[in-house]
Amino acid sequence: MIDVTMANRGTAQRPNGTQGKICQFKLVLLGESAVGKSSLVLRFVKGQFHEYQESTIGAAFLTQTVCLDETTVKFEIWDTAGQERYHSLAPMYYRGAQAAIVVYDITNQDTFMRATTWVKELQRQASPSIVIALAGNKADLGNKRVVEFEEAQAYAEENGLLFMETSAKTAMNVNDIFLAIAKKLPKNEQAGNASTSGQGRRLVESEGQKPATGNCCK
Amino acid sequence: MATSCFSNVDEYGFERPHNFNYETYEEFMSEYLKVLAKRARKWAEIIGEGRSLERSITIKRYVRKGIPGEHRGLVWLSVSGGEELRHNFHNLYQQLLIGPHDSHVSDIIKTDLPRTFPDNIFFNNTDRHQRQLFNILLAFAHHNRQVGYCQGLNYIAGLLLLVTKSEETAFWLLKVLIERILPEYYTPTMKGLITDIDVLAELVKIKMPDVYQHVTNMGLPWAVITTKWFICLFAEVLPTETTLRIWDCLFYEGNKIVFRVALTLIKRNKENLLACQDFTELAECFKDITKDSIVLQCHDFMQSIFKLPGSLPSSTILKLRTKVEQSHKDQLNPRAGR
Repeated sequence: MIDVTMANRGTAQRPNGTQGKICQFKLVLLGESAVGKSSLVLRFVKGQFHEYQESTIGAAFLTQTVCLDETTVKFEIWDTAGQERYHSLAPMYYRGAQAAIVVYDITNQDTFMRATTWVKELQRQASPSIVIALAGNKADLGNKRVVEFEEAQAYAEENGLLFMETSAKTAMNVNDIFLAIAKKLPKNEQAGNASTSGQGRRLVESEGQKPATGNCCK
Repeated sequence: MATSCFSNVDEYGFERPHNFNYETYEEFMSEYLKVLAKRARKWAEIIGEGRSLERSITIKRYVRKGIPGEHRGLVWLSVSGGEELRHNFHNLYQQLLIGPHDSHVSDIIKTDLPRTFPDNIFFNNTDRHQRQLFNILLAFAHHNRQVGYCQGLNYIAGLLLLVTKSEETAFWLLKVLIERILPEYYTPTMKGLITDIDVLAELVKIKMPDVYQHVTNMGLPWAVITTKWFICLFAEVLPTETTLRIWDCLFYEGNKIVFRVALTLIKRNKENLLACQDFTELAECFKDITKDSIVLQCHDFMQSIFKLPGSLPSSTILKLRTKVEQSHKDQLNPRAGR
């Protein structure tokens, strides 16, 4: 049995002694193989980039915390395998997710099409209140661009998605997209109840993990 | 660590992790080298004298105790039936390489080549290994069109290549694994994988009900934990030598070994798993248990997989598969069968 009564919200002592609210959110990354999902996570969580990132099998799990003015947002990040045949496992990862980043590669039109089908699937099957961001990754490869910024932006607007072009390689907009999601996520009492997973989670600030942004937890 | 007599790259070209405990490893290796020397002598007697490597009680016992690296390709082929296949279809591999090839499949494989063992000195320093890996995966994808190319096969074929140092041997071993030893893990529906993940959950429920209950309470799906275990057959999960010792038994005894390893990992770390207070901690713990000193000590670990999980007859696994498949059908079709 799963305890569904506990909202993903708690309070914790901040380093400067003030009481801050901690919200924990499940975020899933989806998108075609080799668009840079794992690289975005690696950049966001560890500040690293590998030119050749190992292909993800099944899914990888990481956590990272970002701090907004009054709230600490802890992301539980599920980074999934991109190949089509792993699709049947995907619902397990986006079920109960409060946020998703759907990633495509700006140098590959097919990956943008695949991204739009992920968005449709999320809109149909994921939690109705899920915050979806669209990330046009590999923005450092502008000379090979085939997906126009305006095209993706128009699509994102039509569908109510956050949108940024990102580069895991240069770190462009990587923290920003997570931060934008953190800002958009509801942080009221009901925040956790939107989740259908509803794992009763104890909220403990993890030690030794540096928050991702500068404007944070001072 | 400058003081260690062991390099930071293992004999298969994999970099050891940053937090690798050289001290514990040296202690372990000082004993394990004796085991290896003894096993090498025993195998040399069989292979040197040209005695049969066909399946027998002796060979099975020898396999469980570990096959020396230099004989692995030969013995794996022999005990798994791959040698017979190769003999019967001796031009197949070369023909598959000639083509014609589907460019879509070949593009997908190419994308994964530099992403396969990027930290391995053989794969990242020379084009040769990547080209050979490409050939194996391309040939297999065109040979078995139902499977084609599935991510994960790159790691299996890559490790087979590192061990056997022969493209063609690696191809035949890959074929035997996918078509004879493992049930439909890599097909487009991944039906066999989804079934076996649930079979493992059932086995945990039977053998360690407290762990099963705890994982369920924390809301962590078994697929999240174990997909990579099944798909990569512990390559990229456990230390290389441990993985190869598992593969020794896998080629001889079949896919039951995967369940034995999984159950052993869980059972040996039961207390740690039960101590996890939330979902995040539990997910991390399942990652940690594939990296600790227990799994590095491959000889002890391999002995324990035949003891710790207790009896595990094939008939149990088959029964559980039927049960799980039926419940999957019922979920798709709630009215049928009521």
